Amino acid sequence: MRKRVPALGLALCLLLSGCSRGLTIFSNYRRLESIELVRTVTVDTAEPGVSVAIYGTAGEKQEARMYEKEGTSIGIAMNELTLMPLGREAILSHTENMLIGSDLAEDRLDEVLDYVERFSEMRLDTGLLVVLDSTARELVSGLAGEETPASDVIAGLSENIDRVGKGYIFSCREIVSSLAQNGVALVQCVRGVKEEKLFEKRGEMNIEPAGFAVMRPDTVVGYLTEEETLGSMLLLGRYRSRNLDVPVENAVLTMSVDLVTPEVKPVFAHDGSLEKVDIRLKLSSNLVSMEGLVDIRREDVREKVEEGLSGIVESAVSAAVRRGQEMGVDFLDLRGILSRREPIKMEDIPEKWEDVFPALPVEIRVESVFSRTYDIIDPPEISGREEGGPWKKLIGSLTDN
Amino acid sequence: MLREKKPPAPPDIAGDAPVTAAAVEAVFDGCYDFESRELHIGGDVGRKVRLCFIDGLVSGSDVAEQVIKPLTDPERFAGVTDVKAVIAMLLGGSVYVYTAKSRTKLGEMAGDLLNGFCALIFDAERTAVTFEVKSQQRRSVEAPKEEKVVKGAKDAFVETMKTNTTLVRRKLRNAHLKIREFNLGERADTAATLVYIEGFTNEGIVAEASRRLSKIKVEGALTSAVIEENIVDNPRSPFPQVISTERSDKFCMNILEGRVGILVDGLPLGFLAPGTFSQFMKVPEDHSSHFLVASTLTLLRYFSVALTLLAPAFYVAVAMYHQEMIPTRLMQSMIEAKQQVPFPTAVEVLMMLLAFEILQEAGIRMPSPIGETVSIIGALIVGQSAVEASVVSPVVVVVIALAGIAGYTMPNQDMGAALRLCRFLLVAAAIALGMFGIALGCAALLYHLASLESFGVPYMTPFAGGEGRHFSRALLRHSMTDKRDRDPELKTGDGGEAKL
Repeated sequence: MRKRVPALGLALCLLLSGCSRGLTIFSNYRRLESIELVRTVTVDTAEPGVSVAIYGTAGEKQEARMYEKEGTSIGIAMNELTLMPLGREAILSHTENMLIGSDLAEDRLDEVLDYVERFSEMRLDTGLLVVLDSTARELVSGLAGEETPASDVIAGLSENIDRVGKGYIFSCREIVSSLAQNGVALVQCVRGVKEEKLFEKRGEMNIEPAGFAVMRPDTVVGYLTEEETLGSMLLLGRYRSRNLDVPVENAVLTMSVDLVTPEVKPVFAHDGSLEKVDIRLKLSSNLVSMEGLVDIRREDVREKVEEGLSGIVESAVSAAVRRGQEMGVDFLDLRGILSRREPIKMEDIPEKWEDVFPALPVEIRVESVFSRTYDIIDPPEISGREEGGPWKKLIGSLTDN
Repeated sequence: MLREKKPPAPPDIAGDAPVTAAAVEAVFDGCYDFESRELHIGGDVGRKVRLCFIDGLVSGSDVAEQVIKPLTDPERFAGVTDVKAVIAMLLGGSVYVYTAKSRTKLGEMAGDLLNGFCALIFDAERTAVTFEVKSQQRRSVEAPKEEKVVKGAKDAFVETMKTNTTLVRRKLRNAHLKIREFNLGERADTAATLVYIEGFTNEGIVAEASRRLSKIKVEGALTSAVIEENIVDNPRSPFPQVISTERSDKFCMNILEGRVGILVDGLPLGFLAPGTFSQFMKVPEDHSSHFLVASTLTLLRYFSVALTLLAPAFYVAVAMYHQEMIPTRLMQSMIEAKQQVPFPTAVEVLMMLLAFEILQEAGIRMPSPIGETVSIIGALIVGQSAVEASVVSPVVVVVIALAGIAGYTMPNQDMGAALRLCRFLLVAAAIALGMFGIALGCAALLYHLASLESFGVPYMTPFAGGEGRHFSRALLRHSMTDKRDRDPELKTGDGGEAKL
């Protein structure tokens, strides 16, 4: 017993090994001050296989740095990067977005996703983007300014992209999940554009959304147009808000469409086969600005605005569905939506979904409501201000006195 | 078997030796405060008696007015020549003292003198008559100083046990309220009382408390730790197992809940048993404020327990091992701040924890105005200056300060001290093994707490082994209009259901 207590004390001292890495018994120890925080990773095709670049920072006020390495695979290139004598330890756990070149996306998406899934430090909710018209590295390098890290610009895009209704950055988890369920997934595309700098210390390039890419693990099935992208977002529930222009009489009204509730229902024939799909959308809108002049207090004008908006939304959804049917891939996951609504009947339909889907009639109906017109038709009574109300009586009594 | 109150014999003097003036003077030989003088009964020089008392323990004016004056009155004792008759008259009320005892044994008489009696010694009869004339020099009842009262009774216990029992009696006017007396201390002979409601307080708890009090073997019970460590089930545990309070209202409320109370002469505290973890999270103010407010504050205290215990350990774990758990922006600023700090995170946190403890200890030990100055200077040095000098990172200061302040919300200082000790151990575990270390440390802590018992009641009741409704009773304060249940583990005589 006498020996046990000092032995236990010594063991405890050894366990206090955070002071020195050499004595650490838990292998995950990192010195906070030596960490290079990686927020963005780019992967492009290059000789001998891929080129991986990481964009790290050693603190809030430190300049962002880029490290690049080539390898036959992403894993090998990443290993090479971590072995580089950086003087710091790069950690990938805070990677917000991974950008891949369109060349790589064409045939090696599965390799990228495989790396994210297998490397435990990477988060599965890392956003994945496909870069069009340039390599991912060129785009990110162009985004970086003197005081604006490229990661901040990309983070700004990911925060706002669905708010303006131009797209949605799917995470690796969502993409993997969609590939597993449908064999196909949507991935957000971006491209770099040269435009006038908003301020001096910003980079030469800006980043803009370029619709969705419809991807299989080993190939790109196609790229969606802006209208098809909007339709896909509406049906997938990824839509938050967007301004849409509606021409009415001699004016163009910019309407903010805020609330969209999609409802997808299957309609079955008597023999149990799927007859058609009924899609209903309810949306609420309000006026943002007006070019020209039209009296929105008029009932017929409001109806025209609502009809116009319904037409735009219906067209977008219709375009997205039609594109999927043309490509023969259910990237909108209609089968999943219908199965969740009618699981037993959907299980029993005699045909294969792949055969049914391309020719499946889809009926789309959109109900639009023009709200918050600020046209006060029936103002509520304000208590105490009516004729002979308590206020008037009080004022009257005061003035009488 | 209880050791009822018996005055112990002075050392080297046979307790049952006959009472004589010479024997008494021999016992108290060399005692500066022992007074002995000769009196003449009824003013008759021929009828002598020896008056003895200990100055300071008795009231001089009471002795003069209530004993000497009637004793020397010639009319009162005129014609009474027989000493036995004089003794009978004294015991029968010829002097104006409400307690009078006849003593024939030296030990008993010496005990009376030490308890604030004066004695008239009749050598011829080898008998003494003792009268209780205790000095009234005692601290008056004041508002509690350590347990602040916002809305409630402001009469705190004092050092005099009689005053304390009076405070309890005034609040609990119940004929079944029993106050049993014990003597603690082999040499100091400190009086203690066990307070409970007969027929209501669980008999097993009363018997156990009596057994433990009677088994205390100490020189003197002059500090609270003597009582606590001698009566708790597990004295090695840093967690308090009996509730100590200076508030008489809290004492009485717990007696009404079915607990036993212990009052010790010379200590301005009352002890309550059994003490369970949930009881240490409650303050009497909970019963003075609205039940929603009280419930929220109780939950806040539980949250503070988690914060004070885990905040530094959690910081160490995430900063050293689990950086992926830190939000990116915070991580960036943490890395930035850490660049200039020369010490590893573990050293930084341990250093700050030690500095915090040193400051706290210095603040407590110093006289009040200096203590406050030490705290202010300490806060400035440890906080602002240490950060400016890049000795520690700002986040560490925030985390340690947060943990420290959360610890101050503990209603019981002993519980706060125990949690501070555990905080160090959890930090050590986090330094060694990160989150796994914290998980192991918490498991060990819960195991220890769950294994504790206080007078046969599980310490973690009602969280461990309790029913759902009792669980909520520990966390929340129900409305006074609701039907109230007592702690089922206390097994009170009314079946645990309060009469409203």
